Amino acid sequence: MPAEPLLSVRDLSMRFGGLLALDAVHFDVAPGEIYGVIGPNGAGKTTLFSCLVGALAPTRGEIRLRGGRIDGLPNHQVVARGLVRTHQIVRPFRDMSVRENVSVGAHFGSGRRRGADAARRVGGILERTGLSTRADAPASTLTIGELKRLEIARALAAEPQALCLDEVMGGLNPSEILEALSLIRSLRDSGLTILMIEHHVHAVVGVSDRILVLNFGQRIAEGPPADVVRDPEVVSAYLGGDDAVPLFPEA
Amino acid sequence: MKRLPAASGLAATAFLLAAPLFLDRGTLNDLWSLSLGVILASAWNLLGGFAGQVSLGYSAFLGIGAYTTVLLSLRGVPPFLTLPLGALLAALFSVAIGLPAFRLRGPYFTIATIGVGEAVRVSAASVAFTGGSSGLRMPSGSFDFTANFYAMAALAIFSVVLAAAVRASAFGTALAAIRQDIDAAESLGVNATRYKLLAHALSAAVVALAGSLYAINFQYIAPGSVFDFRLSLSIVLMPVVGGVGTIAGPVLGALVFSTLQIKLLAIPALRDAYLLLYGGLLILVILYEPGGLVGLLRRLTTRRQATAPEQEVPDAG
Amino acid sequence: MTDLATVLVNAFLAAGLYATMAYGLAVIYGVMRIINLAHAGIMMLGAYVTLTLFERFHVDPFLGLVAVGPLFYLLGVALYRVLGRSLRRSGAAPSMDSLLLLFGVWLVLQNLAYYVWSGDTQSILTGYTLKSVAILGVRVGAPSLLVFGASAASLLFLTLLLSRTYLGKAIRAVTQNRDAALLSGVDADRISAMAFGLGTAFAGLAGGMLSTLYAFTPDFGRSFLLKAFCIIVLGGMESVAGVAVGALVLALIENGLAVWTTVPTSFQDAVTFTLLFVALIAFPQGLPGLFTRLARRPVPR
Repeated sequence: MPAEPLLSVRDLSMRFGGLLALDAVHFDVAPGEIYGVIGPNGAGKTTLFSCLVGALAPTRGEIRLRGGRIDGLPNHQVVARGLVRTHQIVRPFRDMSVRENVSVGAHFGSGRRRGADAARRVGGILERTGLSTRADAPASTLTIGELKRLEIARALAAEPQALCLDEVMGGLNPSEILEALSLIRSLRDSGLTILMIEHHVHAVVGVSDRILVLNFGQRIAEGPPADVVRDPEVVSAYLGGDDAVPLFPEA
Repeated sequence: MKRLPAASGLAATAFLLAAPLFLDRGTLNDLWSLSLGVILASAWNLLGGFAGQVSLGYSAFLGIGAYTTVLLSLRGVPPFLTLPLGALLAALFSVAIGLPAFRLRGPYFTIATIGVGEAVRVSAASVAFTGGSSGLRMPSGSFDFTANFYAMAALAIFSVVLAAAVRASAFGTALAAIRQDIDAAESLGVNATRYKLLAHALSAAVVALAGSLYAINFQYIAPGSVFDFRLSLSIVLMPVVGGVGTIAGPVLGALVFSTLQIKLLAIPALRDAYLLLYGGLLILVILYEPGGLVGLLRRLTTRRQATAPEQEVPDAG
Repeated sequence: MTDLATVLVNAFLAAGLYATMAYGLAVIYGVMRIINLAHAGIMMLGAYVTLTLFERFHVDPFLGLVAVGPLFYLLGVALYRVLGRSLRRSGAAPSMDSLLLLFGVWLVLQNLAYYVWSGDTQSILTGYTLKSVAILGVRVGAPSLLVFGASAASLLFLTLLLSRTYLGKAIRAVTQNRDAALLSGVDADRISAMAFGLGTAFAGLAGGMLSTLYAFTPDFGRSFLLKAFCIIVLGGMESVAGVAVGALVLALIENGLAVWTTVPTSFQDAVTFTLLFVALIAFPQGLPGLFTRLARRPVPR
């Protein structure tokens, strides 16, 4: 890690009653990285994101953003510091238009924009995420692909330094996936750090700089995609066997 | 169509300003009651309609305003000067309740407010300082109905304008986001608790101002009248029947209810049927047109526009 | 020592009635996740029906309860069928819709009561109303004892219903995990209708019992409704036992206040409401939830 990590997680654990959803997870994310998070269903990935942004208060552990601790802070304060997430199952404000949805992020995110300034930013983000033509449509009339883009647009409007994308490619067809990947790369190129949970391992492997693998709430591997997909523990977690066959021989 | 609200607002303002000049006292009384309804309904709507937090304890704020005015007037303070203090006390009380209560969601919050409203009423009726259950009377002095009427009308117009201003502001957007999906709102930086408290305090202050004017107008208040649960419920019914969450809804609802009140009082046999009417209206609205009168009007006048084909929106997780 | 005995005996007797009253609310919330504000109106109706049976047909109020139960069950199912669509509506604000709807029903019931029975205060005076019995040195009114007996019987019936019948098991399943229950083939609509009927039946029974203890008007029911909420919050609604515990706690606090402090009776309601408030904040899961959280040992998944 050349410079100070943007996000630093140590000994993060999350317990729900008798269930230990996260068990002493630790990792660092460098500024400008695309950091993938993968793992079988129920591995604790969304729980991890919820803890990072303050939607859940972790049972134990430290989370630092640019060196300052954010664990235990409420969600809206973490957003103010520059860490924003999208939701795996989209949560649009259905009675609002696309533009109004994105405005919520612009008004109350870390930028706290108002008036013409906010309107300009919202317009720009709608362009970038390909939603300009649907700007005044009620959110309840959008397709699933458009809703996913709305989630991202809204989060972007909150002006994050680090964006946590939770399965943004779920339910997308192959061409939509390519568009999403291209968007993610362009976001990183403009200075954002990206964490992404994804089930489409192929997609994540192609775009990530490093990948974290979780299973049963524990970190079982971390590193460049090529290494991770060959890791026998990772393979057996996904396939349930002890084949030494790598997931993606060509990776 | 967009100019209609502003135009009708101006017309209504002009009408109210001129009213005492040409209307008889009886009609002016009715307009006074209508104004009261508009104030209470519009104020409640800030928290209940915009933010979606249903409180059934708003009579507490009316009572706080009323009692502050009477108690201070009895100690020599000119009545109109007591208004700001009543509003402030109500706002502070709303924050005191809100801090714990807003940690509750949906129906639990509503029940908590029922409890608070009742606790306040029972306390006021049991404590000698507030005159106990027999209430208090304003000090005898010259009561200027016209001044009170103008104050009430001005407050009514103010509350509608306030609602419109809130709705158009970022604050209003936050409230709408809170109503639709509070967790998603928080995930975008909205401090939900702060905005709920603010909406609560603002509406409490306005309701308290109405309470003060109420005390000045009727000269006599008692816990049974100003802290009554039935008052809390009519404060909720007006915006719900008129169209919860809209600007015109509370006004329409107030119009419907004061008309009902006037007509009902005229027919002896129906005088006690107000519960049936309120309850029946509530049931009908929820069953058939949850958008209230405003929703009904919108449905009747909007022509279907061609939009993108509707897709299935998955439920929020 | 006699004070303690007074508090314990009275609280215990009151708890039975409170539990019956609270369970009516609990079962509807557990199965349908809606707060039934009409509960107050139904209790009131139960009181009036018992009164009518007594005054018109000279049926002893406690015998009348035997008719009230089934009658109100049918009433509940009918009410559910009529209102059903709106009660079931899901989405952004389901709670407000159903809350207000049932609120409307309560108002209508109140007004109907005013029409049919007038607003005069009513009470039921039987041959044994004024008789009393000594229990552990405490004088207890005969009606209180009979009420306790009646509520114990209905709660016993309820426990058997919940553990032995399909309806009971379905209710428990839906209360604990709705999705799993639906996946297992439980017919949500049918169970909801029956749960609503059951809740209404218990509200009616509670009302009937209350009519033997207190004087009442159509406005009666609100403070008992709040007590019922208090109990559900304290005791949780997972089980009859939980509701019974909540009922006992509330009854103990009320009687304790009456005997050991100088808080006037009119203030007691304010205390109950404050307690409700505090309970809602401190124990969103109820006391059982608190115990469960403390007792469970962490297990790595």
